Amino acid sequence: MYSAKAKKRAGRISILILKIIVAFIMFSPIIWVFSGSFKTLTEFTTSSNIIPKNFTWENFRYIFNNSNYFLYVRNTVLLMGGATLGTLISSSLVAYPLARMEFAGKNVIFAIIVGTMMIPNIALIIPQYIMFGKIGWLDSLLPMIIPACFAYPYNVFLFRQFFRSIPKELDESAYIDGCSKMGVFFKVLVPLSKPTFATIGVLSCVFWWNELTQPVFYINSDQWRTLTIALMTTFMYTSGNAFVINWPSIMAACTLMIIPPMILYLCGSRFLVEGIKTSGLKG
Amino acid sequence: MANNKGSKPAKDKRIKNNLTAYAFCAPWFIGFICFTLFPIGFMFVVSLTDRKLNGLSKFVGLLNYKNMFSSPTFWNSLKVTIMFTIIMMVVTTIWAVILAMLLNHKQRFNGIFQFCYFLPSVIPTVALAYAFRTIFGKEAGLLNAVISIFTGKNTSINWLYDTRTVYFAVFFITLFIYNTGQMMLTFRSGLNDVPRELYEACDLDGASALRKFFSVTLPMISPIVLFNAVMGCVSALNGSFALLYPLTGESGDPNGMTQVLSLLIYKEAFSNMKVGYASALSVILFIVACVFGIGIFAVSKKTVYYEN
Repeated sequence: MYSAKAKKRAGRISILILKIIVAFIMFSPIIWVFSGSFKTLTEFTTSSNIIPKNFTWENFRYIFNNSNYFLYVRNTVLLMGGATLGTLISSSLVAYPLARMEFAGKNVIFAIIVGTMMIPNIALIIPQYIMFGKIGWLDSLLPMIIPACFAYPYNVFLFRQFFRSIPKELDESAYIDGCSKMGVFFKVLVPLSKPTFATIGVLSCVFWWNELTQPVFYINSDQWRTLTIALMTTFMYTSGNAFVINWPSIMAACTLMIIPPMILYLCGSRFLVEGIKTSGLKG
Repeated sequence: MANNKGSKPAKDKRIKNNLTAYAFCAPWFIGFICFTLFPIGFMFVVSLTDRKLNGLSKFVGLLNYKNMFSSPTFWNSLKVTIMFTIIMMVVTTIWAVILAMLLNHKQRFNGIFQFCYFLPSVIPTVALAYAFRTIFGKEAGLLNAVISIFTGKNTSINWLYDTRTVYFAVFFITLFIYNTGQMMLTFRSGLNDVPRELYEACDLDGASALRKFFSVTLPMISPIVLFNAVMGCVSALNGSFALLYPLTGESGDPNGMTQVLSLLIYKEAFSNMKVGYASALSVILFIVACVFGIGIFAVSKKTVYYEN
């Protein structure tokens, strides 16, 4: 009996050690970015110390003084807020009949939604670029916010999975109390689905905060630049020399960009696992 | 309710029901027509013209396709895209399962571990790309420094520009991207749903941990593996741009070894201003995505286990 217990204990400890090693690997890029943002350019390009020798705030000062940093933040927040709000409302509305009602063509619609989930956006970005150019939306945030208000398949899918896990009897008792379909949605499903709204909201915010591809295609003026593009253009070079990449200032900009998702995660992590329902993936 | 089709009130009710449902679906339907179906058709049309970035265009028939099929850059890019998608899909899915299983092993400090495991995936891909460009750098790179400490020899490999190491470096970075974290969450939720009694039965039989994984865990989570494989495939096709563009540039250094189709599309459309040709490339990317989708479902028919 003793040896079995010892074996189990050894197993637990080895798993714990494995976990710590993996945690180090996963966290190393973040530590690297944080430490890099406090180094001078010379130190960054000559040594790989984790703790900076000449601790400096110069890189952060450089970003705030030499770019429209707050303009980029505003653009990114507008994009993130607009797209997230749009997708939360539209996706949950679309998911409701798919999870709760019987109607002609339900399976066809669901099949198309799952099918479109598999079309990578980048394959359609050139025709969309021409299309948005024709209606004069280029160089603004509209090409990204407006489509988000028309339900993303992936989010519809996640909402549907969660709605299905809520007992149907609740709907029926609400009908007996005289609720309409709309009433059931707002009074029964939405309050019970808070974890899913939180999860999809967090994931969507993170997605748009980090999104590079679509802004790179659609935006070209400084006025609507998001932080991700600014990272690739504005913060890239030292003011005097166009050929030396200003790594420490990029790292400082990265640090500033990492902090908001980090805080968002800390606030939303309770919901993250709860909000994603994978049971009954088939039906 | 569906059986008494004959009576009029029931029929009216059914029609009303259908209409309510369609009204709820309307946002998706409008979006689907405007932002998916129309662009797909339009893409085929534009691919038959020599449209330039400034909007001038002339019908040229299949010329774009002819040029494309005789271009070695295109074939290289297609090859890189297919390889990149498959390997990235496999690598990120396996890593996500490993992370999820480690986290589902209830222990102290699990919150901290989840924080460490998930956080890299919420940071911007651009930031990740720049972090790794310097970590994998030749001089003052973290990886070279770590290897030097462990081996005692002075290593100076330029990981991202060396043809022998570039793939290792790039696929290592995919372990940190957004999609891996998202997969980890779905796997965690799926692993929590595996009935505990099955593991207890295994323990009674004295099955090894490996045996338990392949006979119980994997079949039980196989629908989620399928779901994640699909999402991984899409994100590999889609997200490779955001990762590789800041990492190796639009030409996919070294020697186009990382030039996936999305990078080539961007380069042709915005650097060479050939939008018509870029549309033809988009058509190919679209077809590649469809083939991958069909392929995954064909494989899954045989291997995925559904609990009824």
